[in-house]
Amino acid sequence: MKQFFGMSQSGNIEEAVRGLNNPELIMLLSNSEQFEEHVKKLEDLFPNVPSIGCIGMSYDTKVVEKGVGVIAFFDGVNAVANVLEEVSVMPVKYIERLEKDIEKVGASHKDTVCLDFCTGNDACVLTTIYSALKSQNISLIGGTGDAGKVSANGKVYEDAVVYALVKNRGGRVKAYKENIYQPLSNYRFIASKTDKARYVLGELNGKSAKQTYQNILHVTEKEILTQTFKNPFGKINGKDTCIISIKDVEGNALTCFRQVNDSDVLILLQLGDYKNIIKNTIQTIHNDFPHPSAVFSVNCLFRYLLFTENNYMQEYLYEMGKLGNHVGFVGYGEHYNNQFVNQSMTCVAFE
Amino acid sequence: MLFKKWKKDKSQKNKSLYPILYVMKTLKGYHGDLVQKEVDSLYELSKISSSFKNVLVETDNFQEKLQNFEQTFSSINQVSSQFDNVKEEISNSVDDAQNKVEELRCSSQQVETYFTDMENTFLDFQAAVGNIKRCMKKITSIADQTNILALNASIEASKAGERGKGFSVVAVEVKNLAEEIKALVAEVDNSIINMQNGTNQLNNSIDNSQQALEQSLDKVNDTYQTFHNITQAAEGAVTVQSDISKVIDTSRNELQILCRFFDDTKKEYQNVVKHIDWASNLGTTKSAMFEDIDNMMAQIPHIINELDT
Repeated sequence: MKQFFGMSQSGNIEEAVRGLNNPELIMLLSNSEQFEEHVKKLEDLFPNVPSIGCIGMSYDTKVVEKGVGVIAFFDGVNAVANVLEEVSVMPVKYIERLEKDIEKVGASHKDTVCLDFCTGNDACVLTTIYSALKSQNISLIGGTGDAGKVSANGKVYEDAVVYALVKNRGGRVKAYKENIYQPLSNYRFIASKTDKARYVLGELNGKSAKQTYQNILHVTEKEILTQTFKNPFGKINGKDTCIISIKDVEGNALTCFRQVNDSDVLILLQLGDYKNIIKNTIQTIHNDFPHPSAVFSVNCLFRYLLFTENNYMQEYLYEMGKLGNHVGFVGYGEHYNNQFVNQSMTCVAFE
Repeated sequence: MLFKKWKKDKSQKNKSLYPILYVMKTLKGYHGDLVQKEVDSLYELSKISSSFKNVLVETDNFQEKLQNFEQTFSSINQVSSQFDNVKEEISNSVDDAQNKVEELRCSSQQVETYFTDMENTFLDFQAAVGNIKRCMKKITSIADQTNILALNASIEASKAGERGKGFSVVAVEVKNLAEEIKALVAEVDNSIINMQNGTNQLNNSIDNSQQALEQSLDKVNDTYQTFHNITQAAEGAVTVQSDISKVIDTSRNELQILCRFFDDTKKEYQNVVKHIDWASNLGTTKSAMFEDIDNMMAQIPHIINELDT
């Protein structure tokens, strides 16, 4: 299969799709001002081509911060795109659509991946979507867009998750997750007094979450707001760690960028040697796919900000580009199978 | 009519859906209780894990102390093995001393012999002095007799008149000679008396020296006995060292058994910690499942409400 990336810093959709022929799936990454206009124009330019879209930055070897980016797959994939609506309360209402699409595309765990853009309530959405995908062990990669809007097949939705099932006729697909943080000492907590609807974390090991965080890291209440770049939480799930970003302070509790539940086992993380970790990720992908035809990734906004501040973003895209054709977008939360994570990178490689 | 039917259908549907909502509410309650139990059990697991890790640390510390014991036993063994050297040195020194004492004894015995010879010589000397005294007595007696003869000669000479004058002179001279002889004998007597006093003192000294020598010889014999006792004691110390060594070997063996026991126990504890960590990990996967269950269950009331409307 082949992967196309086109962009326009000025937001000109025609410029962004220049050179795109016979796409089998289109992904639109637009800006909040022009999103609806771009969705409509894209549908006019490529009618009946499965498409999904959201508001956010995109990249290949450079980041498109404003403007528009268009990613497309062609020449070797079967793709369908669709939507589950009312995701804030009952995405399962539309689950039959996904079940039928899985059958329609002939999905299997070796060669099919589900890509999604979501407006919110991500954890519930992923539980719902993955309940259908796991019957075939199909991987999922995606993220949360900005401004609460997504699009599928030429239509804009609020309060929805749009997805594309992509079957690689040319070979395997595999999903990866990268974590550039590592455990800080032996700090291990059991969460309690949580409010999952408001993403509130009340207590850690029975003590105020805010106080516990401050005491360990010796930071002021004000400093907590930016400390997540260095020291986010990690939720332990067997051998895996899902990063949870800290958003704000609420009384003696902390609010996060994803829900925390009572009985969640959390650890404190610290920034690792991210350049080395990234090199290892690239090597892992390269070992699995010596010549991938495409790599599509979702990088967290916080990673983008961290890399940019350290003048590393360009180098990062260059390094990832060594895999072959690497494109992606900057998300406000990342999806990896049934996990909704923060401050991570998730990606899929196509053989 | 149709409206009435619709109302009836709706009311029936409401009644049929209510139990589902009720079950959902109850399930949510059970879910909450399950989560709380999970929180409690995870907390207890973490406490157990922490306690076992402390036990492992204490076991390590104790094992380290046992290793130090081993070191101490080695040091004791090393030190006590020096008993042998010490005993050897004592033995050599005692032999040396015994040889010297033997020499001393021989010398003393020789001195005793000399003293005996001296005594004999002294006795001879005393005998000789006795003889001299007797001779002096005889000389004095002879001198006395000579004196009397001279006196008689003087008397006879005086009777002889002129012709006896020369004889009278000779008689006087003989008398003088006799007197001189008596004076000399008296001097000799004094000297002999002095000598006798001196020899008596010498005799006493010789007696005292002999006594002292005898005492020394006794002490030499005692010293011999003492050296013998020292040698016995040194031999005894080696026996003690050998006993210490045996006890240390036994203790060392017991210590090794103890160390092996702790090694085995430590492996078991590590196993327990491994299983606790594994159980904790399993617990973490449960919390992800709880979230999934909650995410699915949370949607049902909304679906039912929608069906209701």
